[in-house]
Amino acid sequence: MPVSESLPPHKAQKRTPPALWVALRHGDALWDALLWLSAALTTVLVFWIGWKLWVDSALSRAATGWDFVSPWAPPSWNPVLDKFHAWPAIYGSLVTSLIALLVATPFSIAVAIFLAELAPSRIRQILNYMVEMLAAVPSVVYGLWGIYVFLPLVVVPLGKFLGATLGQVPGLDVFFGGTIPDSGLSRLGASLILVLMITPTIAAVTRDVFQAIPQSQREASLALGATQWETTWRVLIPYGLSGILGAVILGLGRAIGETMAVTMVIGNTTGGGWSILRPGYTMASIIANEFAEAVSGMHTAALVEIGVVLFVITFLLNLFSRYLVWRVNRKVIVR
Amino acid sequence: MNAETNIFAGLDMARLDKRRRRINRIMLSLTAVATLFAVIPLFWITIYVIIKGGSYLNLDLFIHLPQAMGTEGGGVLHAIEGSAVMVLFASIFAIPPALLAAFYLLHHPNTPLANFLRFSTDLLSGIPSIVVGLFGYAVIVIVQKHYSALAGSVVLAIIMLPVILRSAEEMLKLVPQELREGALALGSPEWKSALTVVLPAAAEGVVTGIMLGIARAAGETAPLIFTALGNDNYEIFQYIRQTIQYRQGVGEAFKLILEQPTDALPLTLWKYAQQPYPERVQQAWAVALVLMLFVLSLNIAARLWLAKRRRQRYG
Amino acid sequence: MPEKQTIKIDIRDVSVHYGTFQALTGVSMPAYENKVTAIIGPSGCGKSTLLRSINRMNDLVPHFRIEGTVTLDGEDIYAPRRDVVDIRRRIGMVFQRPNPFPMSIYNNVAYGPRLYHIRSKNVLDEIVERSLRQAALWEEVKDKLHQSGLSISGGQQQRLCIARAIAVQPEVILMDEPASALDPIATLKIEELMHELKKNYTIIIVTHNMQQAARVSDYTAMMMLSDSESRSGTVIEFDETERIFTNPKDKRTEDYVTGRFG
Repeated sequence: MPVSESLPPHKAQKRTPPALWVALRHGDALWDALLWLSAALTTVLVFWIGWKLWVDSALSRAATGWDFVSPWAPPSWNPVLDKFHAWPAIYGSLVTSLIALLVATPFSIAVAIFLAELAPSRIRQILNYMVEMLAAVPSVVYGLWGIYVFLPLVVVPLGKFLGATLGQVPGLDVFFGGTIPDSGLSRLGASLILVLMITPTIAAVTRDVFQAIPQSQREASLALGATQWETTWRVLIPYGLSGILGAVILGLGRAIGETMAVTMVIGNTTGGGWSILRPGYTMASIIANEFAEAVSGMHTAALVEIGVVLFVITFLLNLFSRYLVWRVNRKVIVR
Repeated sequence: MNAETNIFAGLDMARLDKRRRRINRIMLSLTAVATLFAVIPLFWITIYVIIKGGSYLNLDLFIHLPQAMGTEGGGVLHAIEGSAVMVLFASIFAIPPALLAAFYLLHHPNTPLANFLRFSTDLLSGIPSIVVGLFGYAVIVIVQKHYSALAGSVVLAIIMLPVILRSAEEMLKLVPQELREGALALGSPEWKSALTVVLPAAAEGVVTGIMLGIARAAGETAPLIFTALGNDNYEIFQYIRQTIQYRQGVGEAFKLILEQPTDALPLTLWKYAQQPYPERVQQAWAVALVLMLFVLSLNIAARLWLAKRRRQRYG
Repeated sequence: MPEKQTIKIDIRDVSVHYGTFQALTGVSMPAYENKVTAIIGPSGCGKSTLLRSINRMNDLVPHFRIEGTVTLDGEDIYAPRRDVVDIRRRIGMVFQRPNPFPMSIYNNVAYGPRLYHIRSKNVLDEIVERSLRQAALWEEVKDKLHQSGLSISGGQQQRLCIARAIAVQPEVILMDEPASALDPIATLKIEELMHELKKNYTIIIVTHNMQQAARVSDYTAMMMLSDSESRSGTVIEFDETERIFTNPKDKRTEDYVTGRFG
């Protein structure tokens, strides 16, 4: 080994060999540069994606402006006239995601309570694995099972029931009117598939939030004579509230971005009015369905612009949920 | 006893406590019921796919290309090979930058770039995969003017990247600082200690992250629809034979493998599921079984392995 | 003994196991009504385990098992159909580290009464004020009742926890080294407070600080590992505090209180 390398750095510097030469031979400068480059490229990637979509949607943005996302603009998704307003797809995404969230949230919190607070440790282990598995099942498999099992066995009967009850109530008939197709392909089907798909996500994050709450909080409450439920409801849930909200928003992001399973069960049409019993589109599913076949530049640009809307929504949701989770972590560390 | 007034004086404590105990029992039981309901789909889907897919599973599926629509027989060899090629190349594209970026976070945890990197990694994992597909279309398909396995590999790599990066960061952080300093004290350069000491010490965790990333990419469909597109005649062994036969170079073989439209298992499953031919739907179930076995066993193996190592290490 | 003493809590021949580990062996001791009873002994001898057996907090620990009897006013608290919620209301607890809930001072104190569906603003106001006064905290926080319970100092937080415990009017208060995380001045305040509190409550305090035991308690139980082989603790001597510190019967107690232990 050359003498200069085994000497302490300040002595090596005194002999002043060409610094660049030593650094390169040592390899660390190159290594550092490589690390920096990887980090920088990974960082830039997500913004490159956003910027690229923005540029490629220029044609559509110039032609339609804000009417593209406006609920009040005349609904039109017409490749023949080359006139594209995305509201029906946006509505589909909003309504399916919100219904999914409304059902999945209480459900997931209950699951998280059971996993974090009640389940005996052996069962807990197995259940935790099952929740992870549920989140790992590929979404096309959910879709296939949805078409042939879930829609006919669950969604169609439920849709008929809702149509016969809520569909008859004036005011509510806007959302529950019409009849569900025999195939079950509908916004309702998409919403319920989404419930199954986001429950594991929300439950797993909420479970982690509960597990991060110090044991002393539970003890303080139980020692006052509170029951386990009272402790959970009045201490643990308020304590973890912002973390739970973060989990829910993460779930909303998943629901809005979910593509395949929804595409397979929602029926894929730009019509359908407001009713959840009718088929429709979501933003993700309209891209999946039409992009490969889009002919005109305007059609393509319109689909890319929907991608921009999706990008912006998930960007904001992620930002918000990271902020909430970060706040919880900080609280846990400080205490 | 107490000089003060009893705050519970007017209350029927026995009845109140009984009511509270009852609410407690009911609500806690409800959480158990909810958990039961939450895991039902797992069994329902798994069992259904096993029964349905199992009955249509046969050797032909793995060794033959698809037959013409509406005819019996044939297999999904094209999709198996396509998935293998794209996941392999996605891993090749994603793993080095993910690990290097993780090392960056390890060495410089608090620089502005590090914080920015964590932030954008989170964002990247939150962006819908279909949007990543649009990006892949724009930067590769448009430029090359054709769909390809290459484009599919790139979008899958973008999807794997945050999964691997995040778990690698966690795992590298767990390696004791002394180990790294020990190597540096012996005069070994930083990169050598990183690759020969720190990385092996964190190997099992890093590999687990890679396995989860692969499982994720193998199940992805949406971003492949307009990058890989699909190709019923994709057969790499034939391409290899062909290049050998005509004495073409390795470059030509790679070109055939990477530069033409390609299918993947989830993509095939999606297309077959909606076709009016019962043979295709049957094959879709069989493909679902293969896909689920692959993805879930990779997941289970990764998690069991990690849990076992954790137990060994922390008692 | 100058006056007739009523036994409030009676612990008889209690052994505690966690799975295969035996934490306590054959513990017997009383706690007299309106007196302060201190439990002292070297660390790891099961003081906290014993304390937490009295309000059944150990029920939370997996594989916990207890033999022997613990009675409150002569009723066995481990009797099969005994309600643990009722036990814990009657036997309050203050922990080693202050653990207020991340809510306002007012809501911290009102938490217990609200469990019993006491919702009237007037009644709650009264309970909060009385509890905070008894915990000698009222003057310091009366103007910031709606600030977070975490915004006050550690010593104040611990007194808030005491106020929270007495808001449900327990009969017994268990204190698990309540001053171990506090500075000397805050410790002094807690000790003074105990003199006041024992007029209304029976207090059992675990402490590793013998001066503190001597200052605050009327009775003292001395705990040790039952023999050097096992890791299982037991009470080797119980007596009036004065006697324990001046004229102990057991040689080990004498060694410990004079600092010759270990």
